[in-house]
Amino acid sequence: MNPAPPPLEAACIPLSLYLHFPWCVRKCPYCDFNSHALRGDVPESAYIDALLRDLAFDLDQHPDLPQRPIRSIFMGGGTPSLFSGRALGGLLAALSQRLSFADDIEITLEANPGTIDEAHFADYRMAGINRLSIGVQSMDAAQLKRLGRIHDPDAVRSAVAVARRAGFDNLNLDLMFALPEQTPEQADADLAAALALEPEHLSYYQLTLEPNTEFAARPPPLPADDEAWTMQQQGLQRLAAAGFARYEVSAYARSGRQARHNLNYWRFGDYLGLGAGAHAKLSGSAGVRRRARHKHPKAYLDTAGSAEMIQEDRIVSAGELVFEFCMNALRLDAGFGWDEFEQRTGLPSSVLRAALAGPAAQAMVVADDTGLRPTPLGLQHLNTLLTTLL
Amino acid sequence: MKQSNIRNFCIIAHIDHGKSTLADRFIQICGGLELREMQAQVLDNNPIERERGITIKAQAVSLEYKARNGEVYQLNLIDTPGHVDFSYEVSRSLASCEGALLVVDASQGVEAQSVANCYTALELNLDVLPVLNKVDLHNAEPERVAKEIEDVIGIPAQDALRISAKTGLNVPDVLEAVIANLPPPKGIEDAPLQALIVDSWFDNYLGVVSLVRVINGRIRKGQKMRVMSTGKDYEITSLGVHTPKRVFKDALETGEVGFLIAGIKDIFGAPVGDTLTDPSRPCAEQLPGFKKVQPRVFAGMFPIDADDFEDFRESLSKLRLNDSALQYEPENSTALGFGFRVGFLGMLHMEIVQERLEREYDINMITTAPSVVYEITGTDGEIRKIDNPAELPEGSEFEDIREPIINCRVLMPPDYVGPVMQLCMEKRGTQRNLKYFGNQVQMEVEMPMGEVVLDFFDRLKSVSRGYASFEYEFLRFQEAPLVKLDVLVNGDKVDALATIVHRDAAYARGRDLCERMQELIPRQMFDVAIQAAIGSKIIARSTVKAMRKNVLAKCYGGDISRKKKLLEKQKEGKKRMKQVGAVEIPQEAFLAVLGVERKSSKAD
Repeated sequence: MNPAPPPLEAACIPLSLYLHFPWCVRKCPYCDFNSHALRGDVPESAYIDALLRDLAFDLDQHPDLPQRPIRSIFMGGGTPSLFSGRALGGLLAALSQRLSFADDIEITLEANPGTIDEAHFADYRMAGINRLSIGVQSMDAAQLKRLGRIHDPDAVRSAVAVARRAGFDNLNLDLMFALPEQTPEQADADLAAALALEPEHLSYYQLTLEPNTEFAARPPPLPADDEAWTMQQQGLQRLAAAGFARYEVSAYARSGRQARHNLNYWRFGDYLGLGAGAHAKLSGSAGVRRRARHKHPKAYLDTAGSAEMIQEDRIVSAGELVFEFCMNALRLDAGFGWDEFEQRTGLPSSVLRAALAGPAAQAMVVADDTGLRPTPLGLQHLNTLLTTLL
Repeated sequence: MKQSNIRNFCIIAHIDHGKSTLADRFIQICGGLELREMQAQVLDNNPIERERGITIKAQAVSLEYKARNGEVYQLNLIDTPGHVDFSYEVSRSLASCEGALLVVDASQGVEAQSVANCYTALELNLDVLPVLNKVDLHNAEPERVAKEIEDVIGIPAQDALRISAKTGLNVPDVLEAVIANLPPPKGIEDAPLQALIVDSWFDNYLGVVSLVRVINGRIRKGQKMRVMSTGKDYEITSLGVHTPKRVFKDALETGEVGFLIAGIKDIFGAPVGDTLTDPSRPCAEQLPGFKKVQPRVFAGMFPIDADDFEDFRESLSKLRLNDSALQYEPENSTALGFGFRVGFLGMLHMEIVQERLEREYDINMITTAPSVVYEITGTDGEIRKIDNPAELPEGSEFEDIREPIINCRVLMPPDYVGPVMQLCMEKRGTQRNLKYFGNQVQMEVEMPMGEVVLDFFDRLKSVSRGYASFEYEFLRFQEAPLVKLDVLVNGDKVDALATIVHRDAAYARGRDLCERMQELIPRQMFDVAIQAAIGSKIIARSTVKAMRKNVLAKCYGGDISRKKKLLEKQKEGKKRMKQVGAVEIPQEAFLAVLGVERKSSKAD
């Protein structure tokens, strides 16, 4: 039996906005995100209209939303860069009329290096987008092919150059390691090539086989655990030497360039989620409410703005809150403050202290008066710790 | 039913030789069940029995058969377990019969356990009627097998009926032969009541139900009965027979077999092998009863979650209501906490108890490697039994140690004599006898029982491609140079992993054990050192290298519930692991000493 979760004061909890764009030129064999290969043209205006109807539904249910400043927006996918700058500019303008954007709002667009041209990027910048997250994945032509990407390393180089010329001063590159048959030397070269592009932020994560992907069905020969570990360790060193500090399991940034949007997830902040399959988390008097929209673009387009678009709707129980909070917040090198835990879960910190009293947690977290953070061991074995909280 | 028209008999057969199919045919012919009610293997009630195709508990069905001579007969078929672990159950079943059918697969020939059961039947003065089954198979050799029965068992078999229980060929002739060739009971009808308790079990709705054989006199519903060993009297509330449907009757007559219920609280109130009589007119003496069985194999059983200890105790006590051979007492292990030392008749018995605890009682537990009982003479001259290797004192603290020796009879085709002999020598066996009977060879070997419980059965099956069978009996305790092999995990001795081994094999065993443990213990957050030691001397070691990381590469706001499922799966995998110090050890590692992975040994 799970006790009812305590009420939360939403006004104190930071709020972000996630927008999902579900189409890709083609589906990559490793990707488990909600993406669908595009047939024909992107239904640009129909989808933007749907997103706005979607928001209207949320605003109707949560009249307090316009009073809460939006700290960040993330346009992810799929491939949102399949949408034109004009369409996204119109969307952002409409959103800013209905919600209050913070003065220093971070607005990120996920961009596929294969879908970019000069004019596009200038339009994105003009539309108010101030950060790009470029899906590089690898700088090795053969690997890119194997990963089913539509771009080559040169496309990445020119995408970065174009982005800089368009005035983007905040770039993230997504890069993977432990790719099929990759050696530590190759991984190191890959990372060096990506760093040569001088991004502000790097998401450097290990390729994992996710269920319901082509790779899961026909697994490619991946490097052994020990080799993947070597890659991560040497990567950490190379990144540190280049001025990138790790702040989350797979996220590295130059000073002051941490991804505000992602940090909000990890700190258990609130977020609206608009678009096909988008997930939202909102705090309120009933506790934490999680909702998800219809995943399939067609079903979403047909139902957006009505109650039928909601596919999943649940209040997180008090028992699950501790787990869900830790699953996110313990991914951060810096951990979190007790006050943060209490504010975001409504539970006294003693609950968490008790849950982590077992021997398993001892070597994995460090607690002091202000808060809790993972040890390096804990950060690497977070799943082990989390299963004890289930 | 008058005694001359009653036949009490059982079927002796090896697993898969067709006993259950034949019994089903009998029931069908006698109309005990409508066709739609027939469920394959009607007699094996327990789901574990049905799945493994074995019989654990004795059962009885009472069939009404209209013979070709026009007379109606009552045929009581008492089922018998076929596995060596349950041989005591066999002798019980046999004691309630006048005759037995020996069913042999005409394509395979006789097998050790059937031979042993047949000898028991002959010793109990039963008439044995051989039947050759599966003659419809293209590789059936009824002539050869008939000769084999004559050679190995020594009963005439040339005229044995050739049947196929599967197709029904000649099955009615078997019933006619039972009437013609097996004797009826010869009790005294007007003598004082004397009945044998063949089996007792606990039924959640009815309480204790006893299967009884009326030897002399008759037994009526509503009468008082006395359990002779305890002197306690009970009123019989109901009695009857299984057809196999439960049919209530007013009385069981002389020579009949049936069940009775008398408001007895637990099966120890109606001990198997005891004699029932009428307190108002008691019989002069008790029936001989059965030899009490001693558990020969012991293992520790520990709940994975210490909070489940009381549930575990209750489950064991419930299980014992139906399994008087099961023995247990509390055990406290430094590594595994509170649990029980449980005694079994053999390995199959152990597996079945383990399976029932998990399935029927939902107990999540760790079972340690099975051990036999050793005898030591202390420096003070006192003799002690050791059923737990962890309790063996240091070598200097006792004079000598003795291990149980068993006499094994292995039956196999001649091609496998070499490999089987080699296996027996490896297990420190001493060959006593070797007899050739046409296509079968019988080898008698004395072996330490401790070696047999390890992996002998699986190895025997594998070196003989499944053709060898064996049965055994306890012979004596015999002195041997045995030492305790300890296992240390990250420097700490794990008492539940200790075993007793022959000194000459200790080094090899230690090495094997370390290697197997290394494979069986999953990688953890840190290196895990595994060491084997005799006394304070480390003789082998291995290391389970640390798992580098176990963390989701990606986790953004999106799909928390999917990631959560992934972690729940990880947690599920830990259910069969016990935390020993900081190390998580899976069930399989505690059984590593058994060598080859023990598959469910279909061993009837």
